[in-house]
Amino acid sequence: MWRITRLNFRAQLEYRAEFLMNIAIGAIWQVSVVVFATVLLARFTGMGGWDSSDVLLIPATRMLAHGLFVLFLGRVHGLGRSIQEGRIEAYLLRPMPVYRQIQLQFFPTNAIGDLTVAVGLMAGALSRSHLQWTAGRTAYLVAAVLGGMLLEAALFTVVAAASLRFPAADYWGNWLEELLGTFGSYPLNVLPRAVGGFLTYGLPLAFVAYFPAAVLTGHGHDTGAPYWLAALSPALGVLAYLAARLLWRRSLAHYTGVGG
Amino acid sequence: MTAGYAWRAARVTPLGELYTPPRITAALLRLTVRIVLVASLWHGLYAHTGTTAGLGRGQAVTYAVLAVLASRLRELDQYAGRDTVQQHLHYGTIVYWYLRPLPPHRYYALRALGEQLYGLAWAVTGYAVCLAAGVVEPPESAAAGGVFALSLLLGQWVLHYLMLLIDQLCFWTLRNTSALLILMFAQNLLSGVYAPLWFFPHWFVTLSSFLPFQATLNVPLSLYVGRIPVTDAGFQLAVQAGWVAALALLTRFLWQRAGRRVISQGG
Repeated sequence: MWRITRLNFRAQLEYRAEFLMNIAIGAIWQVSVVVFATVLLARFTGMGGWDSSDVLLIPATRMLAHGLFVLFLGRVHGLGRSIQEGRIEAYLLRPMPVYRQIQLQFFPTNAIGDLTVAVGLMAGALSRSHLQWTAGRTAYLVAAVLGGMLLEAALFTVVAAASLRFPAADYWGNWLEELLGTFGSYPLNVLPRAVGGFLTYGLPLAFVAYFPAAVLTGHGHDTGAPYWLAALSPALGVLAYLAARLLWRRSLAHYTGVGG
Repeated sequence: MTAGYAWRAARVTPLGELYTPPRITAALLRLTVRIVLVASLWHGLYAHTGTTAGLGRGQAVTYAVLAVLASRLRELDQYAGRDTVQQHLHYGTIVYWYLRPLPPHRYYALRALGEQLYGLAWAVTGYAVCLAAGVVEPPESAAAGGVFALSLLLGQWVLHYLMLLIDQLCFWTLRNTSALLILMFAQNLLSGVYAPLWFFPHWFVTLSSFLPFQATLNVPLSLYVGRIPVTDAGFQLAVQAGWVAALALLTRFLWQRAGRRVISQGG
């Protein structure tokens, strides 16, 4: 795996300008989240009853989780295109698991930009935070970031599983990306209860960063969801990912290409 | 060029959509959810705030919802139809654009026109529903509505040329996905799609006034909600028209240069 990743990285270096722009696009995309959050924080103080330093922890957690997702598991997003172009058939013939081959398709250069900005924002959020960063709290934050990464991977794996039957399901992947980017970065309690409920139970976006940040900053009882559920967010990420992988395995077993 | 050619080229993309009902259902659901979420967000943000950055709650919600509707105008997924300039260059099929009786620049413009008219049908329907449901406010006056319509037309014209520039870039760069994404990001940020430009710092608003992006969306929407008074409309419309003229000249020049770069395999 390491050799393939190294080769993929060298392949990305073939087009130097594209390589650098790929890093830039990752960074720019993340900066757009920072700009949006900063503009809103500057104009609307006390967003949803949260202190601005507490709010910053939400985009920081989400962006770090997203950056890690892009680096390790992100190729599952946009899989419909590979399926449409018949590349998946070749993967089925090789001895390596298909899911792993998909993740080794290419090196995600944009993740370098994503993670650079995300680490910067997390450092900024932690330095502005008034919380005591005990070992327990730090461990929970690390677990939350990893849980968020797995939850995002689970959502895109479900879309990928659907793409095996309906390649146009990619459209939903883009929608998911848009929703995560737009509504995953601030307290969802600014939204009406029904809308917040949809982003919690309909599409588990609240578990990526909002709930973990609420638990860490003492807003865990004001989220509208049971406290224990919010606190279990990192574990839910793991469970959701395992369930999504099972779904993927079943969907792949029933996959039939255009030729039958 | 006969009207028949024009009609057939313009209807390619809308027909592609109409033959795939699941895509239409998905677009409807996606648009509805986006409008509900965006309207809820701005209502929530204004819950404890009065006027900020010169925008009241009704104006901010209207601006944000109209921005979502306007984004439908150019949201068609040409990639699924394998008819983007980038794909044609990748597969070598761009050469067919140069073999038809219709010149490539005219084919491209007609395709875009059909696409934007199809998007306009979505946007107008969405607007009528939102207006009836009280999600958006009507324009302040008939004059404001009139200049908004004219400004929106000019704005879409500018947007067409910006998209064309992005596509024309493909003729010079072998891989350009990142460049396209950067330009799309700039468009979204500097036109007010992410958040109304009025909320940004003063230097940012000044900087964006020198770029064409704000002419695509921020100007028409600001005229609609009354953030730019009708008395200032003349200047803003002139700036938009200036961008249309400048970009038309630039893209015309680039079409000529691009044509020289097209070769067929073995030719």
